[in-house]
Amino acid sequence: MIKAGLIVNPIAGMGGNVGLKGTDGEMYKKAIELGAIPVTPQRIETVLSFIKRRDLYFLVAPKIMGEDFLEGYGFNYEVVGKIGNETNAEDTKRIAKEMLKKGIDILIFVGGDGTARDICSAIDRKIAVVAIPSGVKMFSSVFALSAHAAAEMIDSLSNKFVDREVLDIDEEAFRNNKLSAELYGFLKVPEVKSLLQKGKESSNVTQSAETYKIEIAKHIFEKMEDDILYILGPGTTLEAIADRIGVKKTLLGVDGVYNKKLIGKDLNEEGILKLINAYKKTKIIVTPIGGNGFIFGRGSKQITPKILKIVGKENIIVVGTMDKIGHLECLRVDTGDIEVDKSLVGYMHVITGYNEEMIIEVQY
Amino acid sequence: MNENPFLPPDNVIKAAEKGLKEINRYSNIKNINKLRELIALYCNTHSNRVVVSQGSEFLLREVIQIFSHDRKIIMVNPSFFPSLYYAKEHAKKLVKVQLSPPKFELNSDVILKETNEPSILIIDNPNNPTGSILFEKNAIKELLENKQTLVLVDEAYYEFYGKTALDLVNEYPNLAIIRSMDKSFSLAGLRVGYLVGGNIFLEKMSDFQPFISQPAVYAAIESLKDTSYMESSIKKIINERNRVEAELKNIGYEVFPSNTNFLLFRSNIPDLGLQLMECETIIRDLSNDWLNGFYRVSIGLPEENEAFLDIMNKLLK
Repeated sequence: MIKAGLIVNPIAGMGGNVGLKGTDGEMYKKAIELGAIPVTPQRIETVLSFIKRRDLYFLVAPKIMGEDFLEGYGFNYEVVGKIGNETNAEDTKRIAKEMLKKGIDILIFVGGDGTARDICSAIDRKIAVVAIPSGVKMFSSVFALSAHAAAEMIDSLSNKFVDREVLDIDEEAFRNNKLSAELYGFLKVPEVKSLLQKGKESSNVTQSAETYKIEIAKHIFEKMEDDILYILGPGTTLEAIADRIGVKKTLLGVDGVYNKKLIGKDLNEEGILKLINAYKKTKIIVTPIGGNGFIFGRGSKQITPKILKIVGKENIIVVGTMDKIGHLECLRVDTGDIEVDKSLVGYMHVITGYNEEMIIEVQY
Repeated sequence: MNENPFLPPDNVIKAAEKGLKEINRYSNIKNINKLRELIALYCNTHSNRVVVSQGSEFLLREVIQIFSHDRKIIMVNPSFFPSLYYAKEHAKKLVKVQLSPPKFELNSDVILKETNEPSILIIDNPNNPTGSILFEKNAIKELLENKQTLVLVDEAYYEFYGKTALDLVNEYPNLAIIRSMDKSFSLAGLRVGYLVGGNIFLEKMSDFQPFISQPAVYAAIESLKDTSYMESSIKKIINERNRVEAELKNIGYEVFPSNTNFLLFRSNIPDLGLQLMECETIIRDLSNDWLNGFYRVSIGLPEENEAFLDIMNKLLK
């Protein structure tokens, strides 16, 4: 029997159809005033109707946060936690923690970037999640592509998982047409192959993301030169590289490595500049953050235009696993300095495995 | 699967049946050589440049195995996915170039820059699954001038495109062309492929053992005796492709130009592939291997295409 947690953010996505760009904080009340209707019930009901396996036992959040939608699908369940008439982010976090404590194999949630952020802060990468998209903001790469893909993740659950970024933006700034995305953490999601690809033309992604990460780490480790300062950006691929070097990296932060020793941890712009000034030559290693291929400007704000100007495009090494890079039309930069963005465009090599590279265009 | 929807002509089926009566025997060398001669005639080349095989995929594998251990492999993504897989398994180094919408072009300067060390470029031209042309003949010629670069062009869709670089093999020992009779000659169930190679390829592949079945050899020989049926089936498929393309665009889908027997289109309809599968129509969903929302549909019989268009129309309503 698989124990699955289920948490539905009942207000996620309501801002979209009334043009609010999100329902974080008090904004959902405005959405209701404007006549917004809940979109999450339909999402979760579609997923539940697609699930084929019958060996699921649900630990579900109360009422509109999950319980209301499970009726009629034939699953056994128990309700976890309590909620009031109005729900908020604290409910999501508290109930997710309770579920974790009670013991679940997977947590299914419905929501957007805000919900993903709450789930991430509650459970981190302790258990895997199936994230059903329902929000207005969808910058995180944790979400299943569709209701069917979510059901397939649940049906084919194994011990293979991939780490995916949780990004969220400043909604207030977004409403003023300014996009400022921050990397908040990582969630584990099941790794699945598409149902439709069978036979002669089987998959392009031949290995698991974890194997690719190990390959990338080995490749970078072997090519690392002495007497060069390496600035390591955020992300789990960079974490794998740090592990291979034998140093402990900050997952969301930017760290400095010199002669395979950690010399700077969780650096800000000032910290990075100090190191660059102290050493003769610098290389920056980054991976795209989120599903849109941003290597600079979203999620790795510590590496500023000033730093990029000094280091130069030729000293930037981009890494990324095939399950991520293969899905990108291009890499993107949005550093906030148009001249720096322009200097980074063109074709770039991305290390995708051991002695394996992908050439992909950089756009701004 | 991407196939030709039309059966081969009766005489080809009869030839395959003749082969069935001899299936206790391996295909004999005389017949294999006859097949090579007919392929050479069809390709306007000499039969000693022709290597035949049970499907072009085996030739791709063979080339990758022979030539990749001491040189870099350059390919595009997406491509015929099994070749990418073999390349990953065998290459000293593998470099893939990501094709992106809307044109899915290959920047020849990028490739020229990559061939600054011993390399083998393996490209499908037209490309599968985008249907786009990656290289014109002149660009291939430019690459071939560099003697440390080998070029293998997979022309599985040559008959639909109509242009080839095959005539360059006499001049350039570092070029090989691979083709298939699966789609153009309606022989997918029998698997017949061939390679027409420049001398560098031939030297290493002279002892390649084809394991083509008796029915396949007989059917391929018969098919090549008169290509008019194949030519007319290609014309019908191209006409249908153009009609489906226009209809899909008319309904409101984004469809990309094709030089093959399939179309690439983009749609944001959730679970489009699954919804079609429920209506017994299988298309290729590329979101698992490449870009989200991209699909490849093979051109079928007119009534199959009509049924597909009907569902696609309903899905947008």
